[in-house]
Amino acid sequence: MLRLFKRISSVTAALATVASVAAAQQGGTISGRVLTESGAPLTAASVSISSLGLGAYTNDQGVYTINVSAARMTGQAVELTARRVGYAPKTVRVTLTSGRNIQQDFSLTANATSLTGVVVSALGVEKQKSQLGTAIQQVSSEQLNATHDQNIVNQLEGKVSGVAITGSGTQGGSTKITIRGANSITGNNDPLFIVDGTPVSNRGRGGSPNGGGLGGGNVDFGSVINDIDPNDIATVTVLKGPNAAAIYGSRGANGVVLITTKRGSASANGFQTAVTSSVTFDTPSIEPKFQNLYGQGSGGQFQFVDGAGGGTQDFNDQSFGPRLDGRTMGCIFTTAPNSTTYDQTQPCTQFNSPVVNGVLQPSPWIAHPNNVSSFFQTGQTWNNNIAFSGGTDRATGRLSIGNENTKGVIPNNTFRKVSSSFAGNFNVSSRLSTSATVQYISDKAYNRPGVGYNSGIMEGLYVWFGRQVDMNALKNYEPHANQTFSCNDQYNWNCNFHNNPYWIQYQNPEADNRDHVIGSAAATWKITDWLNAQAQTGTDYYRSNIAQNYAAGNLGYSDLAYNGAFYHFNNTGNENNSSLLLTANKTAKSWLQLSGTLGANRRYATYGSSSLQSDAILAADIYNVSNSAKSPTVNEYGERRQTNSVYGSGSFTLGQVWTVEVTGRNDWSSTLPKGSNSYFYPSINSSLVLTDLMPALKNRVLSYAKIRGAIANVGNDADPYQLATTYVGQANKFGSLPQYTLSDTRANPTLKPENTNSAEVGLELGFLNNRATLDASYYGKATTNEIVSLSLANETGFSAAALNAGKLTNKGVEAQLTLIPIQLANGFQWTSTFNYSANRSKLVSLYPGVQNYRIGSTWTIDEEARVGQPYGDIFATPYKRDKTTGELLLSDGLPQNDAGHRRVLGNVNPKWIGGWNNEVRWGRFTASALLDIHRGGDIYSVTNMFGQYTGVLASTINGRQVDWNNPGLVIHGIDQATGKENTVNVTSENYYQSLFENGEAFLYDDSFVKLREVRVGVDLPSGFTNRLKVSSANLAFVGRNLWTHTKVPNIDPEFTYTTGNYQGAEFAALPTTRSLGLNLRITP
Amino acid sequence: MHIKKLTCAAGLTLAAVVVGCSNDNLTNLNTNPNNPTSAPPGPVFTYATRLSAATFVGNGFDLRQTEFVAQHWAEVQYPDEDRYARLDPASTQGTWTGAYSSQLQDLNKVAAAGLAAKDPGTYGPAQVLQTWNFEYLTDTWGDIPYSAALKGDSTGGSLTPAFDSQKDVYAGMLAKLASAATALKGAPNSLGSADPIYGGSTAAWAKFANSLRARLAMRLVNVDPATADAQLKAAFTDPAGVFASNADMAKLVYPGDGVYNNPMTDNFSGRDDHRVSQTLANILIANSDPRMPILMQPVVDSSASGPLGYAGMPNGLSTSTAGTYFRIASRPGSYLYPGATTFGTFGSAANKKNPTYLMTYAELLFIKAEAAERGIGGLNPGQAAGFYNAAIEASMAQWGVTSASAIAAYEAGPNVAYKGGTAGLIQIAVQKWVAMVGDGAQSWAEWRRTCQPSTIKPGPAAVVNFVPRRFYYPNQEYTLNAASVAAANAAQGADNFGTRPYWDTKPSAAPTYVSAAVCGP
Repeated sequence: MLRLFKRISSVTAALATVASVAAAQQGGTISGRVLTESGAPLTAASVSISSLGLGAYTNDQGVYTINVSAARMTGQAVELTARRVGYAPKTVRVTLTSGRNIQQDFSLTANATSLTGVVVSALGVEKQKSQLGTAIQQVSSEQLNATHDQNIVNQLEGKVSGVAITGSGTQGGSTKITIRGANSITGNNDPLFIVDGTPVSNRGRGGSPNGGGLGGGNVDFGSVINDIDPNDIATVTVLKGPNAAAIYGSRGANGVVLITTKRGSASANGFQTAVTSSVTFDTPSIEPKFQNLYGQGSGGQFQFVDGAGGGTQDFNDQSFGPRLDGRTMGCIFTTAPNSTTYDQTQPCTQFNSPVVNGVLQPSPWIAHPNNVSSFFQTGQTWNNNIAFSGGTDRATGRLSIGNENTKGVIPNNTFRKVSSSFAGNFNVSSRLSTSATVQYISDKAYNRPGVGYNSGIMEGLYVWFGRQVDMNALKNYEPHANQTFSCNDQYNWNCNFHNNPYWIQYQNPEADNRDHVIGSAAATWKITDWLNAQAQTGTDYYRSNIAQNYAAGNLGYSDLAYNGAFYHFNNTGNENNSSLLLTANKTAKSWLQLSGTLGANRRYATYGSSSLQSDAILAADIYNVSNSAKSPTVNEYGERRQTNSVYGSGSFTLGQVWTVEVTGRNDWSSTLPKGSNSYFYPSINSSLVLTDLMPALKNRVLSYAKIRGAIANVGNDADPYQLATTYVGQANKFGSLPQYTLSDTRANPTLKPENTNSAEVGLELGFLNNRATLDASYYGKATTNEIVSLSLANETGFSAAALNAGKLTNKGVEAQLTLIPIQLANGFQWTSTFNYSANRSKLVSLYPGVQNYRIGSTWTIDEEARVGQPYGDIFATPYKRDKTTGELLLSDGLPQNDAGHRRVLGNVNPKWIGGWNNEVRWGRFTASALLDIHRGGDIYSVTNMFGQYTGVLASTINGRQVDWNNPGLVIHGIDQATGKENTVNVTSENYYQSLFENGEAFLYDDSFVKLREVRVGVDLPSGFTNRLKVSSANLAFVGRNLWTHTKVPNIDPEFTYTTGNYQGAEFAALPTTRSLGLNLRITP
Repeated sequence: MHIKKLTCAAGLTLAAVVVGCSNDNLTNLNTNPNNPTSAPPGPVFTYATRLSAATFVGNGFDLRQTEFVAQHWAEVQYPDEDRYARLDPASTQGTWTGAYSSQLQDLNKVAAAGLAAKDPGTYGPAQVLQTWNFEYLTDTWGDIPYSAALKGDSTGGSLTPAFDSQKDVYAGMLAKLASAATALKGAPNSLGSADPIYGGSTAAWAKFANSLRARLAMRLVNVDPATADAQLKAAFTDPAGVFASNADMAKLVYPGDGVYNNPMTDNFSGRDDHRVSQTLANILIANSDPRMPILMQPVVDSSASGPLGYAGMPNGLSTSTAGTYFRIASRPGSYLYPGATTFGTFGSAANKKNPTYLMTYAELLFIKAEAAERGIGGLNPGQAAGFYNAAIEASMAQWGVTSASAIAAYEAGPNVAYKGGTAGLIQIAVQKWVAMVGDGAQSWAEWRRTCQPSTIKPGPAAVVNFVPRRFYYPNQEYTLNAASVAAANAAQGADNFGTRPYWDTKPSAAPTYVSAAVCGP
């Protein structure tokens, strides 16, 4: 322990003396040259003895020199490693004998970047990339952690082709990820996440553009995968199609994200310490553009008396009031009928007007242009991780502790995460080795922002906030001593619809926390030198609680006759997987390699949840069910499921050139009826390295060529309890009468397993000695017999039915292109990487007589899967138009909704997505920037609909440039009554409100380009790292979401509320944060 | 030794895997631990009854949609419903979807259980209540799925049920009520206290069945007078009888426990959208109606009020104009407020227990009065005045007016005293419309049939220049039952506010018909 503290304090001390130059050591030297294979010197390569914390960089001639003090020359053997970006590191063992200088040269082989080398593949097995017949892309710890985000999935954005990621609609919220499009019409389309061999949940929690009532999905609490600390990750491998994942069973049909955590390694001299530390400062990346010419009110009038209708239009929460010209008198009209003359004897009163003798005084009617943006604050994220690793030949271990503290961009909103991870290996004998990993994560969030309709803070700020309201005046949210109006125990600008935003953040405590354990243990028995047997068991366990409390006076959710309301929810998820696996690897002949696996797995998963809620509590501030003034509403749910499986694979590789692998798996599922619950699915894949088969192909341009192909079939079972329709009991009695209702979902006792067939072909090419590489895939897949919860027209008596129905196909291309346009002997290297993917889906059939499935709906739009159409069509109400000319058909000068002719107006899915990363490295400096590109796809923005309806958005100045009703708008179109060009002049207010529930007007092309990541880093000088006794230390300036280009007005084009399938409808999302900060990495 | 242990552990894991493969154990895991696969009819009936009332009387469909169309009330802030803008298919969809898959399906199951047990005490009430629901659906939309509906879980049942013409739906409902009344007569009480309307009394349900049959029959009087006559006669002469007093009314009394309150009191406790429509206020004020203090509150800004402190506001205004009526138009009566609200104290906490009415005795008496005046249903014009006054008295009693002298004075008033003939039919229609405050759908339907009160007109900012004759079919029909809804549109007419359902096609046949300009296109 003391030693640990010493080590930490030495790190700290060294940090404090960054500028100081370390004194040279006395004793022997290790020196030599680092060269390329062709003998050219390599500049700025690092050579280090990590166990001693010694190292140096090569100079222009590729020469390095490490001084070792006499005291450390004790005759021990140490590992000397040479590293250089773009080259495979090389390690040699040298013996340090007192007084002896060592000469050691290195010859480094250039990395073939993405085409060759070893990757972690299915079942965690490391494989030669050249032998893979399927599309796999691996992201290193360094690539993943270029910058830091609250959600690890966000850190993958733009880095893997074929993977579509949409960041959250709130800070700390869910991130949606799909690989190669949606397979399932109604079910889960998330990939399977596996951490060190153990499947980990990515269940979403809450979140909806529609918001909801008490406990009704108004807050996106983030998905479970958020918990993983990215600093502990060694590699992330994405197995993209069912092909690569056939071995993982049903859930692999959506692709697999395989996460391998860092391990310890043998270290001759004590443990090693790695430190990562970062701080970022966060602000909203996009804010709506508001108008600042007109204040609250309607029809040009506003006078505040009690904020609830006591004054003229003072109940009203829109900004079509009088012009904000600084007037203090005359904000309402004279009483003469139809008067539009301002009554100059009437004071312009506001909620925060001065009070004299209990009377609100006239006060200047002026804009507060920054009132919404001033509510936001600069958030901060502090992230630290320290890891100790080391061991002997027999046993190694790595222990890490990390924490992340985030102060949100809205007041009193915090996120805290503490993570710890241990990985240990113990070789019991030469034949038996064991390993165990455990991660424990605890996270806590406080006052997450509610999103969507009627859900709290974002909606109130973005669309209903009066343009004259002084946000500063609201900070003191308690009722004021001289307040002339009662306002639900608050001081607020409106008492009819809204809570004071500060009051929400400080008086309505929302807290949620989660404890999460992921652990596994494995023992491997080496039966012969080519045959291993492994037993493994692993578990993913989490427990989370949500407590949403509402203080007395809260508008919405609570019964105002009482002292507040609450919603308490907790859930527990557990999945255990135990398996036995035989692995054979044999080089039968010098030209024939054989390998095979045979395994059995049992998956047992349980989930349980319960909730307590009451809209009325008796004693204030006691949010406990025993303090409920009414019968509380309680709910309880539990489920369990099991899948037993046997699986196997076999492969051969001929002459390192041609590999063929077959896999097969049979599952027995608890969720399907007896007789249909056993299902087998096979796959085959092959790869052929053309340049090895025909060396003549190789020339100065083409250096590597490989083709691959795969065909796979994956079965899938149902969610539990879909075989028998049930009656749903109601926890609340009607008086004293119990109640039951038949479930609205019709079950199906004859469900069969669903089936996904997929095929892919791939081409991997290296050019110019692998200075340019291309890895491209084309895939097609079709899911048939889908187990869908098909929406039914309710006149059937049901809103949904569990059915085997439908066929959904996806096909697409994905490519990764890596270029090294410049690579100089002096160490300058520019690497450019482009990831591209395009997916096209089509619903081929659904169910006899049923043509459409509704994925979700918001206001007047539906997102649907329609037969013959791509998945995710937006079906909505268009404008009423003249049939021949296509012009708007107007009535009294206003556009009309053509509710009777709703049609497909867009699709939520992008046409293609891409990530373009550029990295420049020169000596100790590295700079990289990642652009994330989404092209095509549509979104429906309720923020824009209501923002225009209420007149807060800048666009609503149109028609009232002069005064509230002047010049007005003559909308271009045909008058329905006369058939002639419209001449009716309407007010801005009437026009923008006539667009209410119009789908066409608020559908936008969701294309965007984001500067997702920027990193400018420097490896600190070796003198410094030597003093720290570490091999490298890197300090970087990092930024995320620094720039966005989009045509969508006022909102962040990227948002999601949930990990579910319903995407593409936006309302009052919190924009992604733009973050800037520093990152320090110390590598042992 | 360590190795032995590990081998042992590995062996156990293998054993677990193999044991787990036993299919029986595996499928038994899928027994739902949360919900049963069968339930007794009583609690299902309770749920369906509560939801029936919640769907059609007192909640959103009533308070925020049909009551603005029927113009008992007007909308003072964000009047999108009152302008008919927010009566678009997305907004009205919930009534349709909820009714079919919740109470109608539940009542189907209760009826099926009762029929299987040959127990009219169970299936009778379920069939009557189901018919009550169907009537609201067809009156709102016209042609609806009826005969093919609710069969999503039966073998061969359609997942895309065809729509029946409203004519057929009415014929089906009338037949169902007739058979239910017959079956209920003398049948034992099976539901007991699980029936929150009548405590399971089959005699009471039989009277409700016949009264409802009279409502349906009168609705057809313009388009099919012969059927109306025959059905009214059959209902009035059925041995099981019709409502005979206010005690017979079909009403749901709420527990008022905070969980299940009168839905109007719940709405008015947190929102201030409603003012009394001037259509209603003008009639109440003109006749010095004793129910006025119960149905209206004095205006807040008394300087702008009428002689008695009461005033209505116009329907269908723009947001900016509607907002100016905030303090100068009457709120709905304090009877509908639960005591303390956001806006002060307007009512009594006891109001949370107020009933909502599925059908009132007053309505039945108005039907009898009209039948008498028309000389149909076995009644004659000489009986009309008696039924008319009795209806007014039943309504007064229902709303809590106890002063006999006040009622007598009202009945003697120049507009109210029964005139007979067409003038009498107009009086019956107007008084019936006043008595049905709180049941927007019935009031709207009666206006479509009678054109009374003739002062009901679309507001100046309404999105169409006529009062809707029906609502748009829900959006989901075009997604999930597209061919059926297309067929319905081909048969009934385009899916819009202007298409008249079957029984609305001949309002000009009504003696109370004023003119096309008043009654709509």
